[in-house]
Amino acid sequence: MPKDELKKYYDMLELPPDAPLRDIHNSFMRLKKIYSGDSIVLAPLGEEFSEKKRKRVLEQIEEAHLKLLEAKKDAPSRTAPLFSDGREPEDGPEMDKIGDGPYTGPSLRKIREKAGVELNEISKELKLRMELLKSLEDEKYEALPEAIYLKVHLKNYASFLGLDPVRVTEEYLRRYQAWKGKTGPAEK
Amino acid sequence: MAQTTKVREGEIWAVGGGKGGTGKTFITSSVGTYLAKKGKNVVLVDMDIGGANLHSFFGISRPQKSLTSFFEMGASLSDLVVKTELDNISLISGDVHSIASDKITFSQKLKLFRQIMKLNAQNVIIDLGAGSHYNTLDTFLIADRMIVVLVPEVIAIENMYHFIKNSLFRKVKKTLKEYGFKEIVQHIWDRRQSYGINNIKELIDYLKDSFSYIGTILDHELAAFKIHLVLNMVRNNNDILLGASIKSVMMKYLGVPIQYSGYIEYNDAVWKSVRERKPFMLNYLATGCAKEIEVLVDNIVKGREVSLPGGY
Ligand SMILES: Nc1ncnc2c1ncn2[C@@H]1O[C@H](COP(=O)(O)OP(=O)(O)OP(=O)(O)O)[C@@H](O)[C@H]1O
Ligand SMILES: [Mg+2]
Repeated sequence: MPKDELKKYYDMLELPPDAPLRDIHNSFMRLKKIYSGDSIVLAPLGEEFSEKKRKRVLEQIEEAHLKLLEAKKDAPSRTAPLFSDGREPEDGPEMDKIGDGPYTGPSLRKIREKAGVELNEISKELKLRMELLKSLEDEKYEALPEAIYLKVHLKNYASFLGLDPVRVTEEYLRRYQAWKGKTGPAEK
Repeated sequence: MAQTTKVREGEIWAVGGGKGGTGKTFITSSVGTYLAKKGKNVVLVDMDIGGANLHSFFGISRPQKSLTSFFEMGASLSDLVVKTELDNISLISGDVHSIASDKITFSQKLKLFRQIMKLNAQNVIIDLGAGSHYNTLDTFLIADRMIVVLVPEVIAIENMYHFIKNSLFRKVKKTLKEYGFKEIVQHIWDRRQSYGINNIKELIDYLKDSFSYIGTILDHELAAFKIHLVLNMVRNNNDILLGASIKSVMMKYLGVPIQYSGYIEYNDAVWKSVRERKPFMLNYLATGCAKEIEVLVDNIVKGREVSLPGGY
């Protein structure tokens, strides 16, 4: 992504260029709350500024969030380490290893924690139960829903963390299916 | 208004914000006290004509001199400076009963501004009254640092938006007038419906898009239009975070750059000492607010944002 386009997205999230993923995430959550409904900071401007304006701002915030997550994912080592938060550069290779998968429940958790994202934030944002998310990261397969649902959850979870949803889903489900094949009757 | 040229080295700060009772006078006096403690030579100017009470924050019940002499006898502002009990800080009282603030004539206003700018001080801090009267806004606009004080409640937020929108409108109007486009802003604003303009932001965008020359002027002149936000009487983290939300809305909706410079906790010691006519400022270091005042002032001076609790 061109530099000035990137800057535009950082501006939109009210962040300095190259802010770490954790800040991108926090800023996104914070702004989303402001522009999602009638917050007391917006209501007083109501008459002069239309609903349309509010929705537009919300869209821009969401777009900026997605684009920045993508950019972070595309350029892990060129700009800053994938989940940089000002750590020493020695952290780099280790984090790359985590980022390179194969994605498992525990590795996903590690990535999430490095990014400074709380499980309950994901739960709120994706409207998923905490237990489900915990089971997902613990690979407590018996507590997880059918593969077709699990696939959707995994995709959302992965995009939320700025990971490749297709790869995460594929690799996670491979292990899940293997377990399923061992324990229960195969799905038809 | 004629372009006023500065002949001083010091800085003028103005404290406003629209709603009454948010703590403008308290902030003015304590900010001034801290600057004086740091060795700056400070003069506070009470421009809350009719509601002046800055002097009581310094334990002065009846100031011997006030702006009355300026308005009635044409006294020079520098002769109306009253000493306080503290070193390095004195004040000009706005305790004027004979004249209503909206009766101040245009030429009196210009003269007053000129003399404020010539005051012999490293820091002049102007305490504005409540409301968004154009005299209040014009005074706000002469400042090098424009500070708005807010408390965490809806009406205060509403009044502050109003105050800032109107300040900005007046700034744009005055700027373009100085460049010889006297009527254009009001003309377009009065017909805003047919132009599809709903608010000050769209007005500015329209002016910039339609007249590139005006765009250049506005870009240049509005660069200095930067607001410092202070949240007063906060009681918890949510109150504190409100400042960040307001900053966001001001930037995204009004296009106004704003710095969230600081917050001050709600503290009984503040109003108690004022009520008891104790010079709060003498022992203000003993109260919980002192640290927050210092952080606020340092942030304003350095153009820094306050750091927020909870990783934001
Ligand atoms: N942080 C605070 N904690 C507790 N009380 C406060 C605080 N700030 C201000 N007050 C009290 O609130 C009252 C109003 O404060 P102040 O006079 O400074 O407001 P103001 O904005 O100047 O009002 P006005 O609009 O009438 O000029 C005073 O009694 C003051 O002592
Ligand atoms: Mg006051």
